[in-house]
Amino acid sequence: MTVTEVSGIPIAVLLVDDSVGDVRLTQEVFREANSAIRMHVAYDGVEAMAFLRQEGMHADAPRPDLILLDLNLPKMDGREVLALIKGDESLKLIPTVVLTTSDAEADIRRSYELQANSYLSKPVQLEAFESMVRSINDFWLTKAKLPQQSPV
Amino acid sequence: MKLRLRRALKRRSTPATDDACRDLTSSTEADAKYRGLLEAAPDAMVVVDQSGKIVLLNLQAEKQFGYRRDELIGQPVTNIIPEGFAERLIADGVRSAAEALAQQIGAGIELIGLRKDGSEFPIELMLSPLESPDGVLITAAIRNISVRKAAEKVLAHMEGRYRGLLEAAPDAMVVVDQRGEIVLLNVQAEKQFGYRRDELLGQKVTNIIPEGFAERLVADGLRSAEDALAQQIGMGIELIALRKDRSEFPIELMLSPLSGADGILVTAAIRDITARKSAEAHLLQKIEELNRSNEELGQFAYIASHDLQEPLRMVASYTRLLSKRYKGQLDAQADEFIDFAEDGANRMQRLIQDLLAYSRIGTRGEERREIESEVALEHALMNLRGAIEESGALVTHDALPIVLGDETQLIQLFQNLVGNAIKYQGGPDVPLIHVSAVSSEGDNKWVFSVNDNGLGIDDLYFEKIFGMFQRLHRRDEFDGTGIGLAICKKIVERHGGSISVESLPGQGSTFRFDLAAA
Repeated sequence: MTVTEVSGIPIAVLLVDDSVGDVRLTQEVFREANSAIRMHVAYDGVEAMAFLRQEGMHADAPRPDLILLDLNLPKMDGREVLALIKGDESLKLIPTVVLTTSDAEADIRRSYELQANSYLSKPVQLEAFESMVRSINDFWLTKAKLPQQSPV
Repeated sequence: MKLRLRRALKRRSTPATDDACRDLTSSTEADAKYRGLLEAAPDAMVVVDQSGKIVLLNLQAEKQFGYRRDELIGQPVTNIIPEGFAERLIADGVRSAAEALAQQIGAGIELIGLRKDGSEFPIELMLSPLESPDGVLITAAIRNISVRKAAEKVLAHMEGRYRGLLEAAPDAMVVVDQRGEIVLLNVQAEKQFGYRRDELLGQKVTNIIPEGFAERLVADGLRSAEDALAQQIGMGIELIALRKDRSEFPIELMLSPLSGADGILVTAAIRDITARKSAEAHLLQKIEELNRSNEELGQFAYIASHDLQEPLRMVASYTRLLSKRYKGQLDAQADEFIDFAEDGANRMQRLIQDLLAYSRIGTRGEERREIESEVALEHALMNLRGAIEESGALVTHDALPIVLGDETQLIQLFQNLVGNAIKYQGGPDVPLIHVSAVSSEGDNKWVFSVNDNGLGIDDLYFEKIFGMFQRLHRRDEFDGTGIGLAICKKIVERHGGSISVESLPGQGSTFRFDLAAA
């Protein structure tokens, strides 16, 4: 299935971030960019993996069209989550974008080594962040052609 | 020295007296021959009998004592040698006359001679027995040693002065011969090494300076002893010395040659540099600590400013969101409050970004590469294109050289200086900015100038503006964090150069800095 903005069919995005303020801000800005996006939130790495594997209370969780992953997370950090996603045959095709405050070269390199689909640093200015979110929506959720989800 | 002279004297005196001894026992013919010999002797000769009466003398004796011969013949010898001679001729209870005499034979005896005019002079006496029909006579060869005495006195005086000098020296002084044996040392040397003088004299200098000194005294195939020594003269050599108790201490050695009768001696001035060494070590440790604490401070500034950015992003983003969504929907006061909050958040963002940039200069840019400064400037102008277009500024530059540095930092440097030149403008004039560089060949560097036609700066503030958070204008005139020029200064200083400004208020400014030539 190619992910497009089709009204009526919500686009599922999994946001993995432990900062409530950041989560809310990202939700607000994404809502402005594309009202069809349904944003799901995991506040740590363990919860993110449970959501993706539809375990426990996430048994009914949808398969996300895009994962937005922060690197510094409690319990299991973003690098481990990334390694697990990209090492999992059923998850590795989901576009996973690292969205973090770090602009350290080591973090950028490590993320791409772990097969991140792209790496984005959260800008400080709201306008710049809004512009970045529009770009994410425009590229990953609109223009990019992605393989159809293989039948399980 | 004294001993050697005395031996020489003995050698010369003996033949004359020995001849006299043999000849006097025979005929008158021999008597005449003996007299001739006596007169030919270089010393004054006086023959005395056992009672101390003079029986014979030569011309030298007449001259030395100032008497005519007949005035002395038959007179007691005490007239010319008041003390020390006659006594030796007389047997005492313990020994016979022959024994008494035998004890004195061959030994030079120093006594005082008395002239006819009553003046005294030092003499050396050599005695030999002379068998005669009237019993044993004594031949005395008398040498005037006043010249030698005077020389000895001068020598002793000189030696005393040299020794005084040696002893007065603040350093330990050790004089060593070419074999590496200690021939002289002063009291400081005794103290420093913990030996008594006699424990060191004649000993190998390696006992107290095991390595590095004795080797230097020895000539090898490539150089003579003089050359070997000449190489070391005047140079402070740092070595390790060994005390009697086997403890070691650091020394500095200064060598100087001393030409003596037995070849070249080496005077070594030895300074205990324990205090200096420990001061050096202390200083090194302090420098290390300082470097570490500087590094920690740099890290701290970086981490602090980076971590401050996170909560600030929240404040700034939400005040912005608030402003976007609710401006005009609340009352006028609420709008004003939101404006102030936004403005504060923005200022703090710039401050933190500048602080981060400032602290990054310390944590990055270690390596120096060849940089085309012209490319760096163009890069900076590209970053400034918004400000350049807005102000209509005309930025020109000469051909700029290749320098050694960190490209990112050089771009930042140009960007801050040109950015300031555009920003601090007073009148309606178009900002004119010119960048140039002149070679300072003597010290292999380039001096860059960034010249503008802006506001200018009072010379009161030439130093101050390069300080952290230093600003000259009210915020509503010119906004800024007061870090820009501090960043410039730190970049230039990190590159081993310096930065300064020349300016007159109202007539523009010229900022100069130097960078190493490639």
